[in-house]
Amino acid sequence: MAQIKMALDGADKDLSAGYMMWYRFSRNPAAVIGTLIVLSAVICALLAPWITPRPQDVGAVVNFRARHLPPDAQHWFGTDKVGRDIFSRAIFGLRISLLLVIGVLGISVPIGTVLGLVAGYAGGWTERLITGLTNVMLAMPPLVMALAVSNLLQPTLMNAMIAITLLWWTWHARLIYAVSKSVASEDYIEAARIAGAGPLHILFREILPNCISVISVKTTLDAAFVILFGATLSFLGFGVKPPTPDLGSMVADGRQFMPDFWWEVLCPGAVILYVTLGFNLLGDGLRDMFDMEG
Amino acid sequence: MSDPLLKVEGLDVLFTAYGQTRQVLRDISFTVGAGERVALIGETGSGKSVTAKAILGTLPRNATVSAGRIEVEGRNVLDLPRSARDALKGQAFSLIMQDPLSSFNPVFKIGSHLDDVLRYADRRAGVRASTSERRARIAAVLRRVQLADPERVMNAYPSELSGGMRQRVLIGLALLHQPKLLIADEPGTALDVTTQDEILNLINTLVAEEGMALLMITHNLGVVRKVADRVVVMRHGDIVETGPCTQILHAPAHDYTKGLLDAVPPLYGARVQTQELSEKPAIVSANALYKEFGRGARRFQAVRDVTVTLREGEIFGLAGESGSGKTTVARMMMGLARPTTGTVTVEGTPNPGRPLAQIVYQNPGTSLNPKRTVKQSLSLPLKRAGLAGAARDARLAELMGLVRLPVSYLAKYPHELSGGQKQRVAIARALAADPKVLILDEPTAALDVSVQKTVIELLLQLRAELGLTYFMISHDLSLMRNFCSRLAIMLRGEIVEEGPTPQVFAAPQHPYTRALIAAIPVVTDAEERLKPAVTPEERQAFLVTTTD
Amino acid sequence: MQQNPFLAILTRLGTFVLVMIVLSIMIFVLARVVPGDPARMALGPTATPEQVSALRTEMGLDLPLPVQYLSYMGRALHGDLGMSLLSQRPVTADLAQTVPATVELVLAAVIIMFAIAIPLGVMTAHFRDLWIDHVGRLVSLVGVTIPSFLFAISLQLIAARYFGDWPIIGRMDHGLGFTGGPTGLMLVDSLLAGRLDVFLSALQHLALPAIALSMAGIGQITRITRSAMLENRRKDHVLTLQSFGVPERVIIFRYLLKLSSIAPLTIMGLEFASLIGNAFVIEMVFSWGGFASYGLNAILQKDLNAVTAVVLVSGLFFIVANLIVDILISIIDPRMRRKEAR
Repeated sequence: MAQIKMALDGADKDLSAGYMMWYRFSRNPAAVIGTLIVLSAVICALLAPWITPRPQDVGAVVNFRARHLPPDAQHWFGTDKVGRDIFSRAIFGLRISLLLVIGVLGISVPIGTVLGLVAGYAGGWTERLITGLTNVMLAMPPLVMALAVSNLLQPTLMNAMIAITLLWWTWHARLIYAVSKSVASEDYIEAARIAGAGPLHILFREILPNCISVISVKTTLDAAFVILFGATLSFLGFGVKPPTPDLGSMVADGRQFMPDFWWEVLCPGAVILYVTLGFNLLGDGLRDMFDMEG
Repeated sequence: MSDPLLKVEGLDVLFTAYGQTRQVLRDISFTVGAGERVALIGETGSGKSVTAKAILGTLPRNATVSAGRIEVEGRNVLDLPRSARDALKGQAFSLIMQDPLSSFNPVFKIGSHLDDVLRYADRRAGVRASTSERRARIAAVLRRVQLADPERVMNAYPSELSGGMRQRVLIGLALLHQPKLLIADEPGTALDVTTQDEILNLINTLVAEEGMALLMITHNLGVVRKVADRVVVMRHGDIVETGPCTQILHAPAHDYTKGLLDAVPPLYGARVQTQELSEKPAIVSANALYKEFGRGARRFQAVRDVTVTLREGEIFGLAGESGSGKTTVARMMMGLARPTTGTVTVEGTPNPGRPLAQIVYQNPGTSLNPKRTVKQSLSLPLKRAGLAGAARDARLAELMGLVRLPVSYLAKYPHELSGGQKQRVAIARALAADPKVLILDEPTAALDVSVQKTVIELLLQLRAELGLTYFMISHDLSLMRNFCSRLAIMLRGEIVEEGPTPQVFAAPQHPYTRALIAAIPVVTDAEERLKPAVTPEERQAFLVTTTD
Repeated sequence: MQQNPFLAILTRLGTFVLVMIVLSIMIFVLARVVPGDPARMALGPTATPEQVSALRTEMGLDLPLPVQYLSYMGRALHGDLGMSLLSQRPVTADLAQTVPATVELVLAAVIIMFAIAIPLGVMTAHFRDLWIDHVGRLVSLVGVTIPSFLFAISLQLIAARYFGDWPIIGRMDHGLGFTGGPTGLMLVDSLLAGRLDVFLSALQHLALPAIALSMAGIGQITRITRSAMLENRRKDHVLTLQSFGVPERVIIFRYLLKLSSIAPLTIMGLEFASLIGNAFVIEMVFSWGGFASYGLNAILQKDLNAVTAVVLVSGLFFIVANLIVDILISIIDPRMRRKEAR
């Protein structure tokens, strides 16, 4: 086996690392589709006020004459119980979802990464404390914890975000810890230490670059989970306050009118599925690109 | 019966990766007759393992056989349907792999592997046997491969046996299965030299007794002399030379083979190099070092009562097999680990402001950070020394010059370098801090023998140019014979013999030293005859029996 | 290197007790530092300040936090988790009534998960890049990407459209007049009572929520199983067995399957908390009346004793599941047995 790997390594040597990654990525249809989906979702969310047919429906608009209309050329996703255009609201809902992703991952990924790096390299009590803490957090059903936190405070988007962030860093810390620990035992880390490198240099210059691929894959897949998670919270009534459109609460609203006005559930639901699918495909594509196992 | 057992003819194999195709085997032709022992020898990337995989039909998905035939008893297996080929794989040949640990499924007992192999071998032969009958036959086979307690072996999980025992079980599998051709991919390479020697003896005996043919894949010319009748030398996917073993080893026709033979460090004879002893004062002395690991019942002494002195300018070799404690001693001498008891004294005058010692590690694959360029890796110790700007660039160029690498390589990442180049960078990094002592932790163990030769030559030149002192740890006694001026042998945490290298080899005092030297695979019969005599009892006494 | 497996399990139990203690402190502190007075919440806006302060004293809310915690834990160990403000009953009584329903649902989901995901993972790995692989991967992808509430609602929608009389809410048909039995598990109790009609009705009611709850896990476990099978397929020991003539099906279904079941089991343990979390959603959609619905209500109403108990019981679920996973893995993997004893 080693021999064949060698022979292949030989072939790789003439190619740059970047080319090989691009090759693996671009030959993977799932990755390309995932990228397109994520890009389209982000663009739609950014341009929502200009591209949606009825941006005014985002507010507390009531138009009873047009309530519960099935999907047609004018209302692609139909209308809801007060006659608002579901397509427009769903696109605006995307904004909330993506904002949640940025907020949660923007805070929890750096925290989890740093703690994981430190735990893996420092060892001793620091390691035991951090891994112990992550193990306890694992025993908490994240949804229950988020519900408890966000409700005991006030059920707002901000609090939901705080609640999710409180939990999310542990998963990153766990993962980075495992990578960091194995990298820390490599000879080149000892060599750097003997050469006089300080702990900051070793953590961020020597170990961190070896974790980048793991972090980016995990973060991409997590984006999907955060969206699911946020949608679930708001479905249960712990999300943004109406009338601000939010995909989870739109599904919850539509649920009262099942099964007759099915589009009120399925259309916003499909939008959730669309983005989570995109992030998942992209994450898988990145995993292939970095040639990771599993 | 005029057909040979195995006939490979004009075999071409292509690998496709990243949209590029390259040929890894070109026009490979050779035969293995019934009962014949053939060795495929070559260095990294020679295609020897790919050839074996092509024969077995286990090439990876991105490989294609573009031309040629592989005939087993006159039938071209490449034309056979998959099922027939699988059946053939099961009946005609068996494979013994390099790493005996990964050759067993870790969550099944050894006995379960053995029983399944025997059950299906029986079924093909039309034999009906009960479980207990099979168990008795397995026990008999295990005794034949010199495993004294078959019951314990069968009930053990793979991780509970030592490497040598696992290798024996693998050979036992071949006996149960009774193939016509045994393909051995570097057996014993992952094991200690004494164990490896035993394994080769065992394979030889069994192949002779069972009348099996043997296709041995190896990079070690000494192994070839021991187990092969005929040799096929491969290089970069081509066959360079084929011939009877004695002819290849004594009168090779091709320059590549000659170079290969020349690169093998000799154990005895005129080609042996002897390094001068140093008369200078001691630079580091260790006195009565002890090192214990673990606590309570799991405590064990890794190092016991070791006293050594490293003299300035010498090449001191600390030899021993895995687990002997040699690396621990080196780390304690250089202040990287603290002894449980005992003292280390740095004598002479340490250079002001520069570290005494730096390390060159065994595995070039893990000693350089894969995400950092050569320049980044080398700059770290320079930054520490306060060099910046043009001064640093000058020093970088100087370092690259010292290890004979072009300055343009500074921009490269480790994966763009070959093993030997990586090791040169690692040496440059160690030199960057301007140390007095280099610790060489098996610096060439992971390299091909021809690359080893150039790295060793470089190290000798650097010592002459920079006045360095080397402390080398290795298990490769033939290399140490030529490279070290003084030698100490470690066994289970203790130094059992110490002296000037020529003296240790000419008249080894301790039976373990004799056993170690005797186990080294050598290339010529002359060297074989010069090896010290070892009784079978002595040999058995020093086989490493610990589980790893 | 002989080891005592009981000692290993005992060590694990020790860690779990520690986890429970930390968890209880966390939720206890959290529940008490939040804005809003639980006594005021309980009595409603019409209560006088005297009434509120009397209740505060009665509930022990005036004492310092560590004292409150210790007395709470002391009582908890004797099976007293306090009164639920919402139901005006002991929390333990509420739990006794609701936990079995959730256990039944979760168990059913776990069984469905493994029954579908492991074979699917093995098949997709075996027929890699063939149609069965693509279908299997699509199923697992949808499994991990679809929100569980959406899947649950879609199931209800389909049932309502195409199987008109299939029950889509509740645990059984109340018209059957069955009041439950000793275990609280509808399927078991009905069999104990010899009521086949109840059993079938309960099974019918259980099917949709259990499938909905298992979906996310099916996706994940199929994925993990597939990649574990593929990874192990490349290992040297497969080549060894092949080259010694052991047939392919034996290698796959005996040697590889056992080795590859470690990864999905581990994931199952790690993700068990998410499964419990999903149960909250599923129970709500299907009006299941289990412990998760109870917890959801407790959280909405800020019923502190109930919330604390719900979190602790969720943690306990997680711990029991992980203990089982640990035992299973140590049965499968001899290396793990030794590692734990270390």
